[in-house]
Amino acid sequence: MRTRLHIKGKYLWRCCTLILLGVVLAFCHTKISSLTMPPSATVGEIVPIKLTLDVKPGFGDFNPHVSNFIMAVLMPKGWKGRQNMTATYGGGKGEGNMVFMPAGTICPNSNGLTWEVALREKFGLAGNLIDDLEWVVMQTDVGIKYISNEEITANIDVKLKVAADDNPTMVKLSFVVANSSDGLTENPSTTDAGYGVTAQYYNQFTTSCFSVTGGSGDMVDFCNPQLTTIDPPKSLDNDIVTIAYNDNLTNTALKGSQVVYLCATGTTSDGKTITVCEQTDKTRMVQSPAGSGFYKLTFWPKKFFSAADGQTIASMTYFVTNADGSIKVGYGNSAAPFTFRFRCP
Amino acid sequence: MDNFFKIGHAYLLIGLITLGLASCKVDRVLPSAESVKDISGSWKVIKASRNGTDLIPLIDYSQFRVKFDAKGAYTLVNPLPFVASKDGKYAFDDPNYPFKITFTANGGTPVSTAFNYPVSGGARQLTLTFSPGCTLNNYVYTLVKE
Repeated sequence: MRTRLHIKGKYLWRCCTLILLGVVLAFCHTKISSLTMPPSATVGEIVPIKLTLDVKPGFGDFNPHVSNFIMAVLMPKGWKGRQNMTATYGGGKGEGNMVFMPAGTICPNSNGLTWEVALREKFGLAGNLIDDLEWVVMQTDVGIKYISNEEITANIDVKLKVAADDNPTMVKLSFVVANSSDGLTENPSTTDAGYGVTAQYYNQFTTSCFSVTGGSGDMVDFCNPQLTTIDPPKSLDNDIVTIAYNDNLTNTALKGSQVVYLCATGTTSDGKTITVCEQTDKTRMVQSPAGSGFYKLTFWPKKFFSAADGQTIASMTYFVTNADGSIKVGYGNSAAPFTFRFRCP
Repeated sequence: MDNFFKIGHAYLLIGLITLGLASCKVDRVLPSAESVKDISGSWKVIKASRNGTDLIPLIDYSQFRVKFDAKGAYTLVNPLPFVASKDGKYAFDDPNYPFKITFTANGGTPVSTAFNYPVSGGARQLTLTFSPGCTLNNYVYTLVKE
């Protein structure tokens, strides 16, 4: 009888150890204590960004614990972050390079989501308004050996070549730091006083509107609401595009209109212009819901501009008009048209 | 032991053996040939999405048809963005077990896409995923035969 009890106890201890190993890998706090970067840059410039981190791991008796430190940056897709960003880390836990997270790596405690998707679900567009952004995820080249309750001050130096797509841009860049064991979880019962759940296992820092000037492309403003937006933001004349008009941002001459129309001029790749400026079903922007001031029109540019075989529409300029075409609203509620270039990232 | 050979037990034994033999009989079935996937006919779009956004309330698909003939040609009626932008030829990678369908527009280059041909509500559906514009923009059409 004593022997049986002894075996049972042994298994019990093993189970307990496994459970504890699984549960107690916890960080007491992870915080971006400062982030410095210039407020603006020119297209193609390599911008230095410095993150200072305040980290304290805590995981009971299971010392030391090895985990990769992670940094993710939300930036426009057109910037091609995986080709244009490098980063190094230094400070309390040695120096090294940040390397890109292999594609498809699963974020722990996220029900099997990849890091990119998990970040997207948790932080969305971080206050930006156009859905053409992506999270670029990096991790330390080696695992960091953490010792319980050890206060660590570290830094990450990022060098980001901005606006590789040649577009002047206004965007709120967002930075998230985390570690490869805990993912983007929260545990209110074990947070450090003064830090809270959003600086326990991960922490986010979003910049104010960062401005990139110069470049030959069209201005992309992720920060400020636009009178019109185009979905998909990157498209060709053989895509199906939706132009949405938001009449609530400023006092336009179209205020209160039940129906508005699109008045557009396409420029073909061979330099010809085709104008479609009629007030018919073809150009009618449907208000939905009624009285909301949100109007949209979905169309196939190739057919809309009646492009001939072999002709492609390279760009278009457009206005939003009232029912008889006498009132035209243009870019920023001015007399200049909105512009859009048909091209891929 | 003597009792075992009593007549009643013998019947029981024979019965059991017969049952046993019957149950072990191998039922040989000739493998039937997988049917050739015949999609000839006129197909219309019943579902359409762009990057996950439902396009049905946004754009009029009611006039758009894809007509496949039995000789490997297709025609587009009232065209909208599709796998191919002009009429041409279509082919399967394997006529019996197709995984891919290839559209070759007249004078164009072949474009292949996965061939999904499920039965839904008693009717065959054809689901095609493609990018007629930028490759990052994905469109999914579900078509049914008229």
